[in-house]
Amino acid sequence: MIALIVRRLVQLPLIVGVIYTLTLVLAWAVPGNPLENPEGRKPPESVMAAMKAQYNLDSFPKFYFSYLDSASGLRWARDTMSGRAAEQAEAAREAGLVPRPRPVFDLGPSLKHRDERVAGILAGALPVSVSLGILAILIAVAVGVTAGVVGAVKPNSFADMATLIVALIGISLPSFVIGTLFVLVFGVWLALLPVGGWGTVSQMILPAVTLSLPFAAYIARLTRMGMIDTLNSDYVRTARAKGVAEREVLLRHALKNAFLPVLSYLGPATALAMTGSFVVERVFNVPGLGQHFVDAVQNKDLFLIIGVVLVFSTMLVLLNLAVDVLYRWVDPRIG
Amino acid sequence: MLRLALPFALFMAILIGVIVSDRPLPRADLTFSNGTDITTLDLQRMSWTQDMRMARIIAEGLVANDVFDPDYAIIPAVAERWEISDDRREYRFFLREDAKWSNGAPVVAGDFVYAWRRAVLPDSAADYYTFFEYIDGVTAFFNWRNEALLEFAETTAKMSAAERADEARRLWEETQQRFAEDVGIEIVSDRELVIRLVRPIPFFLDLCAFPTFYPVYPPLVQQYEQLDTETGRIISEGGWTKPPQLVCNGPYEITVWRFKRDIRLEVNPHYWNKDSLNIRSISAPSIADPSAQVLAYQTGAVEYVADVAAPFRREMVALKNEYYREHAAELERLRGLGLDPYEIDRRLPPDPRQDVHVTAAFGTYFWNFNCMAKLPDGRDNPLADARVRRALAMMIDKRIITEEVRGLGEPVARTLIPPGSVAGYPTPEGLPCLSDCETDEERRALIDRAKALLAEAGYPDPTQMPTIELEFNKNSGHDLVAQSIAKNWQETLGLPIRLAQKELSVFRDDLKKHNFMTSRAGWYGDYPDPLTFLEINRTGDGNNDRAFANAVYDGLLDASYEEPDVAARAALLFEAERMLMEDEVPMVPIFHYCDVRMFDAHKLSGPNPHPRSTENIFLFDVLGDGVGTDTVRTMPAGWSE
Repeated sequence: MIALIVRRLVQLPLIVGVIYTLTLVLAWAVPGNPLENPEGRKPPESVMAAMKAQYNLDSFPKFYFSYLDSASGLRWARDTMSGRAAEQAEAAREAGLVPRPRPVFDLGPSLKHRDERVAGILAGALPVSVSLGILAILIAVAVGVTAGVVGAVKPNSFADMATLIVALIGISLPSFVIGTLFVLVFGVWLALLPVGGWGTVSQMILPAVTLSLPFAAYIARLTRMGMIDTLNSDYVRTARAKGVAEREVLLRHALKNAFLPVLSYLGPATALAMTGSFVVERVFNVPGLGQHFVDAVQNKDLFLIIGVVLVFSTMLVLLNLAVDVLYRWVDPRIG
Repeated sequence: MLRLALPFALFMAILIGVIVSDRPLPRADLTFSNGTDITTLDLQRMSWTQDMRMARIIAEGLVANDVFDPDYAIIPAVAERWEISDDRREYRFFLREDAKWSNGAPVVAGDFVYAWRRAVLPDSAADYYTFFEYIDGVTAFFNWRNEALLEFAETTAKMSAAERADEARRLWEETQQRFAEDVGIEIVSDRELVIRLVRPIPFFLDLCAFPTFYPVYPPLVQQYEQLDTETGRIISEGGWTKPPQLVCNGPYEITVWRFKRDIRLEVNPHYWNKDSLNIRSISAPSIADPSAQVLAYQTGAVEYVADVAAPFRREMVALKNEYYREHAAELERLRGLGLDPYEIDRRLPPDPRQDVHVTAAFGTYFWNFNCMAKLPDGRDNPLADARVRRALAMMIDKRIITEEVRGLGEPVARTLIPPGSVAGYPTPEGLPCLSDCETDEERRALIDRAKALLAEAGYPDPTQMPTIELEFNKNSGHDLVAQSIAKNWQETLGLPIRLAQKELSVFRDDLKKHNFMTSRAGWYGDYPDPLTFLEINRTGDGNNDRAFANAVYDGLLDASYEEPDVAARAALLFEAERMLMEDEVPMVPIFHYCDVRMFDAHKLSGPNPHPRSTENIFLFDVLGDGVGTDTVRTMPAGWSE
């Protein structure tokens, strides 16, 4: 197990490095000048050239390596070791100012939002996306497993059919339809919940539920199938024959095994919930990572594109690792 | 089973951790939607409306406009008084002693000079650099620096890194010295600043009230600027505009700025005039979607929407008109009193339909006519003849465009400058158009007049004219306006028409290269003077997409700079605009832009309906909240748009 973790952690920088190179090549090839403001006045040619040079946008190799230098933390380490960072911070304090923040992994400035650094943008958005994703997965598991068990206990009953139909709708309807519907019903007509924003628990409910629906539907179907299988297996029959209470049979014996396929689905599902919530973020005005991804591409904001891709890919690798580890730990037969 | 529960326990722990660590702030006294997200709060580099709106809350210039005065009169701000020399070229500002930065340091003359030097250094690429060219020596300094930098690149190409660094430092020394000696800005003392202009600029004080002219705190900004020894340029990084780093001198300071979430402002404890403020805290949540902004207002999440752009806003405006019709008699009476539109709403019964407000803005939507003799592709340009332009300009039904096509009912325009927006400036008559005709006879007469003009220009049969092209980009309903105009021209004159829809960047490129026949356009004024609109038609001006060139017109503009008498100067500019709108017609104004805002006039005071539409959010007062004076401020009675 430890070997697995070590191996994967060694692979991580390699994978991220390859993704970085590919993303940069693609983003570099996008036509257009990211420094140009389509609505504003154009600066003279020479100024534009100097601005490009400032961000190393005039040369691919220069950009490639200088970005790696600061994003990997090497530049931070150099500045800290040499004492330059401390010197500058001291000078700021002496002038009665708050020293500028100095992130370890400096992902560069945002070219569109000139007052922001990419590291700062991501640090603000990541907790939002993570907590939205986690809440959605928790809701999905609670709803999905309950629905799956109910359906499996009495297959083809009314309850089973009802959950299957709801699950089908949950998978089929895109979240911008469901989200808008929720805004209309719970936000505007019933005025029970706020329609947007982020920060309070009540603001989290609608986006999390919207985001959870397709996952809940999938989990319900996985659980139902697993439960029907295990409920017909020999050891369950044995347990029943021994006179174990039905509730005990379902939860302790059957569900534990029926849950394994759900668990393996939860790894990629959690990653998807945390990173793929763009539409939900838009509908409910949630300040998460997903919207930056799309905006950055639209604005040709090179630094932000790469920053978001790097964070997403690192998260994916780590979450997959976590699921593999968990799997082995829960079910020692594997590994 | 326990092992299975562990990941979920971990999830719960993370979730609770995030919720606890990310506690929402208490509700601010005023919450408003600022339209789109802030691009930058770097005062010298900003150009977007939402940035300017925020800048006015956190920063203050030498002087300000009184936004409740019909003339937008200049009032003291950081400068408590000023003197203007007899030749009107020298401005001497005396700074108030109690003007302070948010860290308690005094605001001194050098802070303004530092900010203005940033704006005129080509290194900064400031959007509004041209405003500083009115100051003596700025143009020469800018050009010298630009050339020196180009020269630097050439002469240092073969030098070693150390030599180049030395050369860069020497150049920067020289730049600072030249700015101090050659530019007409003089620091007499910490509290006295003298500006010399290239010529008398009647609106120079209004420029001083513009955010690009606001000061920055040099010790702060210097931390983010460094000399690039490779290119010899000053490189300035962003980031100092964010809390806790930011030091500002305006009524409020930013305490929290969470990107794409919200900006939180509290009263700047060192602001000299903080006793005049009627709200203690302001919050500007970031709401990207225009429909969601309206929804946020309707559910009570925000009290003010600065720019309503929701696709259903025309329906909202229709509902307001319906409400007005229900109270027609009372409305008529209140309008007769000359009250401002927000005050009228306050005196009518409260109703949610009331809360959308459409007021004239300082801008005009118009259609460009290319004035060049030949188009770039070599074709003869029929629009080179002013008579053709006049004929086409008259054959547009402008009312249909504002009321049916756009549905906002903006005021129909006959002139470039919105009437009444510039104090002491009379508005020329302009050309009539189809929607001015009340009867069929009038309409036929106008069409005959247009046909006669075309015949004079050598087109007795308009159907045989070269195809007239209408070029536009597809967003914002320009396509519908183009279709409406095309229909007018076809039905009245039988002209052959081609609609050319372009992608925005291609469209802009075509305009710059004068590669069009007619095209959609618009212009917002930057300062309260007719010149802010008229200068765009000067021969060779960077914004003269029409390639209009007329020596008489240019001469009138030049003369206006030298004319000291206010009335005589207004007459010169009036003649220039009259010539533009009635004789030469390089463009046909369609309508004057409107601002669409949302707020409950019974609950909020502070927005002003003046067509200059400068929004000073720091003047807002939430009525009846027990904070501030809770009194209504309005335009004086008798004022009208």
